[in-house]
Amino acid sequence: MTQTETAGKKTAAKKTPAAKAKAGSTVTAAPEPKKAAAPASKKKSGLAFPFTAIVGQEEMKLSLILNIIDPRIGGVLVMGHRGTGKSTTVRALAEVLPFIERVKDDTYNRTLEQYLEGEEGKKGRAAIDPAAIQIEKIPVPVVDLPLGATEDRVCGTIDIEQALTSGVKAFEPGLLAQANRGFLYIDEVNLLDDHLVDVLLDVAASGKNVVEREGISIRHPARFVLVGSGNPEEGELRPQLLDRFGLHARIITILDVAKRVDIVKRRREFDDDPDAFMKKYSREQQKLQKKIQQAKDLLSEVTMSDSVLTDIARLCMNLGIDGHRGELTITRTAHAHAAFLGDKEVTMKHVKDIAGLCLRHRLRKDPLETLDAGEKIDRELAKVLGEAEAV
Amino acid sequence: MIAFTDIVGMDLAKKALMLLAVDSSLGGVVIPSAVGSGKSTIARAFAHILPKGTPFVELPLNVTEDRLIGGVDLEATLATGVRVVQHGVLSKAHGGVLYVDSISLLDSSAVSHIMDAISRGEVLVEREGLSEVHPAKFMLVGTYDPSDGEVRMGLLDRIGIIVPFTAQNDYRARKKIVNTVLGKRDEEDTQDELNMLTGFIQAAREQLPHVSITNEQVQALIQTAISLGVEGNRVDIFTVRTAIASAALAQRSDVEEEDMKLAIKLVLIPRATRMPEKEADAEEMPPQEEPPPQEEPEAEDENSQADTPDSEAEEEQKETPDMIEELMMDAVEMELPDNILNISLASKKKATTGSRGEALNNKRGRFVRSQPGEMRSGKVALIPTLISAAPWQETRRRDKKMAGRPKTALIITKDDVKIKRFRDKSGTLFIFMVDASGSMALNRMRQAKGAVASLLQNAYVHRDQVALISFRGKQAQVLLPPSQSVDRAKRELDVLPTGGGTPLASALYLGWETAKQARTKGVTQVMFVLITDGRGNIGLQATFEPDAEKATKEMLEKEVESLSLSIQADGVAAIVIDTQMNYLSRGEAPKLAQKLGGRYFYLPNAKAEQIVEAVSNF
Repeated sequence: MTQTETAGKKTAAKKTPAAKAKAGSTVTAAPEPKKAAAPASKKKSGLAFPFTAIVGQEEMKLSLILNIIDPRIGGVLVMGHRGTGKSTTVRALAEVLPFIERVKDDTYNRTLEQYLEGEEGKKGRAAIDPAAIQIEKIPVPVVDLPLGATEDRVCGTIDIEQALTSGVKAFEPGLLAQANRGFLYIDEVNLLDDHLVDVLLDVAASGKNVVEREGISIRHPARFVLVGSGNPEEGELRPQLLDRFGLHARIITILDVAKRVDIVKRRREFDDDPDAFMKKYSREQQKLQKKIQQAKDLLSEVTMSDSVLTDIARLCMNLGIDGHRGELTITRTAHAHAAFLGDKEVTMKHVKDIAGLCLRHRLRKDPLETLDAGEKIDRELAKVLGEAEAV
Repeated sequence: MIAFTDIVGMDLAKKALMLLAVDSSLGGVVIPSAVGSGKSTIARAFAHILPKGTPFVELPLNVTEDRLIGGVDLEATLATGVRVVQHGVLSKAHGGVLYVDSISLLDSSAVSHIMDAISRGEVLVEREGLSEVHPAKFMLVGTYDPSDGEVRMGLLDRIGIIVPFTAQNDYRARKKIVNTVLGKRDEEDTQDELNMLTGFIQAAREQLPHVSITNEQVQALIQTAISLGVEGNRVDIFTVRTAIASAALAQRSDVEEEDMKLAIKLVLIPRATRMPEKEADAEEMPPQEEPPPQEEPEAEDENSQADTPDSEAEEEQKETPDMIEELMMDAVEMELPDNILNISLASKKKATTGSRGEALNNKRGRFVRSQPGEMRSGKVALIPTLISAAPWQETRRRDKKMAGRPKTALIITKDDVKIKRFRDKSGTLFIFMVDASGSMALNRMRQAKGAVASLLQNAYVHRDQVALISFRGKQAQVLLPPSQSVDRAKRELDVLPTGGGTPLASALYLGWETAKQARTKGVTQVMFVLITDGRGNIGLQATFEPDAEKATKEMLEKEVESLSLSIQADGVAAIVIDTQMNYLSRGEAPKLAQKLGGRYFYLPNAKAEQIVEAVSNF
């Protein structure tokens, strides 16, 4: 590519200055159209490899899908070997996500209720007529948090351009705002700077982002599914952050030659002609998207018997897991899994499929333990299942 | 100017760069080479064989984060009042080459950004009020001297070609190099040769889409990757593409054996983690210490082929997959250096810290955030200062006291000033040196492992770095170079074999070298944790010259003593954990601790927690 082309992109990427002057120094959190469109369209710079064309790595794929079905599962941490398609898979996710409704152009992706609640609470605002507000459908946002991000861009800060040109203290929402009701993805999450980890922990716990800086005071909802990926050999995750992730998927090098030949073929095909490749997989993509939407709709109808719940509790107890987040995560994940399979009743089979994902990172670390966490969970699971059958 | 064609020797490196010029999707080329072998000359000469106008950007080692990924152009922003964005080095290299000399010395945050840019093909700028995407598809060319330390695996994983390390010492070639440098070559010849080469590459680029590779060949390459224990699946694409580019360069439309051999040499072998075995073993094998290459099995036997699909075997193929694979294994065998598993130690003999290392030592942590502060108490963070001053401009202008100021001037008061807060990137490095010699009876070894494991746990909590060195037989070995991965250290420890002599001096020496290298990367404190009975019986000489006469006891003691004193003088802290049974003890370990100026612990009495406590108080 030549220099002139690069220069062309440069200008295209530049934002047009927004000079909406307002007298005095009032705080405006009202979104501007140019920014509101950002979360959905900004990062469409190239075609992503289709999710359904990714070979193997079922554990990671299932974890991501279950999180779409029920975002309360609490995200997924994907750790494993280099070059196994971790980030490719997460970035492919955007294409199979369902749609959500939000108030038109709302920077925080709020629903009508949330919007009214947030805006009416403000001083000096006249009552808003709900009928006058337009609603739009957008795909669930996927926001990328790069390692080099600074705190002000993550949390949001004052819009310096407006401040300099017109003296208006306008709030420019950050990545946390864009990620509200969507996915927040951090590649190489184990290398994320500690101060950003603190911010994330704070927001993840409260579901709200509070900004008190440069003379502005804003709070807005920030509930998102946290997705992290990384290679454990590059460094480890802080225990508090590890605990935040609902699921922990592991990913290893595929050793099956046939599968790997397939990967190479598909990759080359995609690189040669991305559009044709996308077309080839569009049916499968739509099918998966539909299946996920159906599972989402079914979720509220899925039930679980007390005996299954007892077994889950026993499993967590036997494994010596602190707190109740283990049980809670298993329960939610098992519901989502059942819904994905089209089942209305959670059985121990569903639990068995996802127990490893839910508990792997919650076992107490014993420095002398050589047994793999997964094996340990399987062993205890077998015991619980055995007992259940014996009764 | 020294042209690409003028460079003598480094044929493999040249070949690699030509392949990259043919297919830029190979991602890049990394060239490890000793000082003075012309590695940076070759990289710069590379620019001239690329099509005219291709950007060639050199990345300075001391690059700051905002220069790397881009940010606000302050001057232009202030002049125009509109936010003006400055592209970073990564996006300036878009469509061309990003060249990094001494890539192994690049600090880890810069490496992470480069990795991120490669995997996205663009840079996300989310900083200082900016939110932008800049295109950044580039070829990365990196050169380094392995004695400065290794390049991070995560980065290597995203680069297609790694040129095998070779020391340049053919005297005829050297003579020719000298002649070239002295300019004894005809300018015209050079230009002609260069034009021809550029033509070749252009032709190869056009040939590239017409080259085909058979399924069997792809299978054979993948099978080789598995046999060599190469991590990840991304490498398959690189191997296949390298083979295709090689065929294109030869103006062929089919991939042939030599293309595949070249691909194996340039892509797979440098990433090998184990020697190929009889059967492709599905389990991940811990690297064993240097099995001699001659015990190579007759490549693949029938069993490993059992599950490869042979649906296309009916096609008219000159070679069956089995045959190709055998050929590949032969190629591998020929190329494998004796020390394949010690690649990271390829040239640990020298490694004195040069002036460059010291320059990098200037404390330069990462700019984390800004906070209000005095102008003089640190570096002023300009953008945050402006941000905090901006909203008040209107009111300040109306303020009578400021009346005399020109209209356009920004009014900044003392309260606006924000200073940068840096975080020191890496704190303490713990180098664990575990005696794995025969004298460490097996149960002792288990206790030692237990102690190390709890120390590792502790280091994990404190986010310290750890390195692991074991010593047994003739010499010490770095099992784990400095990293934050406690998991990996633990795994290495689990599979640590015992037996053989005690090369204590070798361990101290290697530990010291590791410490020095770590310091060039910003580690401020280093602590040795030695787990040994203190009874060295193999001298340094035996490590470097296996045929040397056996060192006397006095010589051994002297060696350890002078090394220990130097290490102490260099400011490395130490702790010695004595594993000797009491009644056998002749007090070697306490003596060692004393010479190192470190603390002494007696393992059979000490509880793991006590040791942990001692280390934490450091």
